[in-house]
Amino acid sequence: MVWPLLRRLFRTVLAVWALASSVFLLSRHDANTATLLFLPDSSESVATGNGNAADYAAAQRAVQHRLGLDLPLFYASQQPNAPANTAQWRWNGTQNQYHRWMVRLLHGDLGTSFRTAQPVTTRMCSALGFTLPLTGTAALLAVLTALALARRLAAKPWWQHPVRAALVAVHALPLFVLALLLLLTFANPAVVAWFPAYGLDQLAADSDNWSRTQTYLLHLVLPVAALTLAALPELTLQLDAALTQELRTDYATTARAKGLAEGAVIRHHALRNALLPTLTQVAELLPAMVAGAVVVEVVFALPGMGRLLADAAAGRDYPVLVGGVLLTGAARLLALLLADLLYFWADPRIRWQS
Amino acid sequence: MALLAPYLPLPYPPHESDLAHVAEAPYSMGSTGLHWLGTDPQGRDVLSVLVFGARTAVLLTLPAAFLAALLGSLAGGAAGFWGNTRRLAVPYWLLALGGLWWGLRFPVPLVGAGVAALGVAAIVLALLRPRPIPTWPVPINAIVMGAATTLDSIPRLILVVAIAAGSGVSAPGLLALLTLTAWPHSARLVRAQMLRIRTLPFIEAAHAAGLSSCKIWLHHALPHAIQPLRTALPLSIAGLLGLESTLSFLGIGLPPDVASWGRLMSAIRNEPDAWWTLALPATCLIASILSLNALGRSRHKSL
Repeated sequence: MVWPLLRRLFRTVLAVWALASSVFLLSRHDANTATLLFLPDSSESVATGNGNAADYAAAQRAVQHRLGLDLPLFYASQQPNAPANTAQWRWNGTQNQYHRWMVRLLHGDLGTSFRTAQPVTTRMCSALGFTLPLTGTAALLAVLTALALARRLAAKPWWQHPVRAALVAVHALPLFVLALLLLLTFANPAVVAWFPAYGLDQLAADSDNWSRTQTYLLHLVLPVAALTLAALPELTLQLDAALTQELRTDYATTARAKGLAEGAVIRHHALRNALLPTLTQVAELLPAMVAGAVVVEVVFALPGMGRLLADAAAGRDYPVLVGGVLLTGAARLLALLLADLLYFWADPRIRWQS
Repeated sequence: MALLAPYLPLPYPPHESDLAHVAEAPYSMGSTGLHWLGTDPQGRDVLSVLVFGARTAVLLTLPAAFLAALLGSLAGGAAGFWGNTRRLAVPYWLLALGGLWWGLRFPVPLVGAGVAALGVAAIVLALLRPRPIPTWPVPINAIVMGAATTLDSIPRLILVVAIAAGSGVSAPGLLALLTLTAWPHSARLVRAQMLRIRTLPFIEAAHAAGLSSCKIWLHHALPHAIQPLRTALPLSIAGLLGLESTLSFLGIGLPPDVASWGRLMSAIRNEPDAWWTLALPATCLIASILSLNALGRSRHKSL
């Protein structure tokens, strides 16, 4: 039990490290753009001719030095215009951006944002405060609803066909279309304005503690609904298929022959076996929710992790982006652990072997 | 229709703004003609954007899906057929390593050239005097599956967003990026099928007939192993369609002057009353994804 799990965790850590490194190295290729974005007024002054080009170059160098972009990128670098027949590779030693990034990462420091000059960790922590309740609630709701729905679907009630068709249709919708539809139906004064569309950022203006909680919950209803609806169809259909297969097996027939009701057969006999293939999918839910949060938080203008990532991508704020990749990797690690724990709980064969 | 888009008699080009008629409802008169399906908040004709958006979507997702299927079937097929057992004679290793050293201009390139020359000499010697030469294994399976697992460990959307921001995006760049993130799925499918086919009697018969293993792989095993892709390809195209429109909705994918459905739909956040900018492209997108899914399912049944 422990060794395979450890090996898999180690492999995932390696994979996340490789991905984060490649994103880091790829992004630093146009670090110049980042510095240009950092100095928009200076570039304007150069363009209009008021400023001194030398001043501007000095300011750009200062910014590069502050952001650590003046160091070479990697341990070895290729010299672009070296004469032929000489070594084109130069060894930079440990004074390079990648090494500094790694060392800081091991100390838990993700660097500073290019745009706001705040530490990335601070920004991500405050964003996570919004995102974790959102994704956590959505994941929990999706799993519980899928369990309840699949259990009832497996009993083959009269409404199974329309529900299946609806699930397949919702599954085909991209998440942002789903979120937009919800937004335009339930937060639109022209249709029904039950929920507020924007404005969670200005929450602090409310003085009363109770009314603040109320506003917060009202703001969260639609995003949670969108995420839940996006995750629900796959889970339900998978669990439903597994249940249908289990109900055709011999032990289910035996249970029925004992005189058990169909509901009892499903609940006590088939469900736990059908859960096993679905558990992997439940574990996939955690990283998928991070990706879903990117879309949902942009649509509903929530100040969370996903919006932070989308803004960082639009504004080329690379330290934040790399931090986002690392965080998603951490979510994947957690998901792996969770999946193994769930297997441990659901499958007695695994429990007894170890 | 997507291919014919530049030749269709549309009253307005897709990226030209009709600023006098901003966010008009369908069937309104524009300055030079009728806006059949209205205009978006930037005054672009929705019909033209729809047609050219279909063109963007098709020209981006179809090649990406096919390239990913090709790459996946080659990599997955090789990984499934040979596993980690394929061995390559040491002289070839020397040749490859030396060539790489020399090609990348590592310090003292002559070392690389020397190693490569040693390899060539060993190959010539082996050709002149046949005798067993030592071999080193090539872990094809480990390499392919390791790469696939690495790419899969982060959701596709996050990975594409992170890299698309970093490397600057053009249409070919986005195509390469979509291919890169889409191939692991088909590689897994083909590998699983290949593991089953490798043990079938006709492969053994081909081995017994003395065919070289490369030939068996390409001509006999691979055509059978790629059968699951017939089902997976429409689904993969549908997934890529959704991903592409999500990206352009977020404003990260293609440059703003390229017409795309996702960008058209994002206009509704500024202009909540303009239902036609959401409803029409959403209908197109959902219809294409649903029909692709149905195609995949019908093929699955016919298998």
